[in-house]
Amino acid sequence: MFEFVVSHYNYWAYVGLMMIGFYAMMAKRNLIKKIIGMNIFQSAIILFYISTSVKKGGVTVPILEHAHKGHGAHHAVDIMQYANPLPHVLMLTAIVVMVATLGVAVAVCIMIYRRYGTLEEDEIIMSIKRG
Amino acid sequence: MRILSFVTAVLVGAALIYGSLDMPQWGDPHSAASTHVSSYYLHHSMEHTATPNVVTSILADYRGYDTLGETTVIFTAGMACILLLRRERSR
Repeated sequence: MFEFVVSHYNYWAYVGLMMIGFYAMMAKRNLIKKIIGMNIFQSAIILFYISTSVKKGGVTVPILEHAHKGHGAHHAVDIMQYANPLPHVLMLTAIVVMVATLGVAVAVCIMIYRRYGTLEEDEIIMSIKRG
Repeated sequence: MRILSFVTAVLVGAALIYGSLDMPQWGDPHSAASTHVSSYYLHHSMEHTATPNVVTSILADYRGYDTLGETTVIFTAGMACILLLRRERSR
């Protein structure tokens, strides 16, 4: 039981972080706070993916050592020595998408603020209803 | 509304934690994520792309179309920001 908790609690930490972001996206009225919640949500996903690339026991970053020494010779690469590179690549893409969504969301917020003079959701809805 | 959101978040979190019970252990080198295609990349990266940095070789060589789409996303976001912020100023 204790072994199980020790080997799985990282997932629970990401679930907690993700649900904090999810709650902020749903419950907060301020649009900037919603964007912050979205960022926390995406950060939780990125942490989750990075944690799947970890291998126990003396692993390093996935940069092959002594790669250029053996010219043309096929070095047997020990996979257990390097962390899994694939989640890192996927999360590079995800970080780029995260920055792109953040930029567009903040731009939309600036437009809303110029038009309505506020970023509170209920005040914006009130002023739309009033015409 | 606030209570409803809290209940939804707790329910979704409980479902995700239930799903995490079947996940591989932390740092398991034989987990599904680090066995199939990842070991292929680590073994053949040097001979296929002559790049010691495996992350670079996957990003730019094996999954180059992914990176192309990523630059499309950045371009679209930049154009959206420019169009959104410019229109107001010219009025």
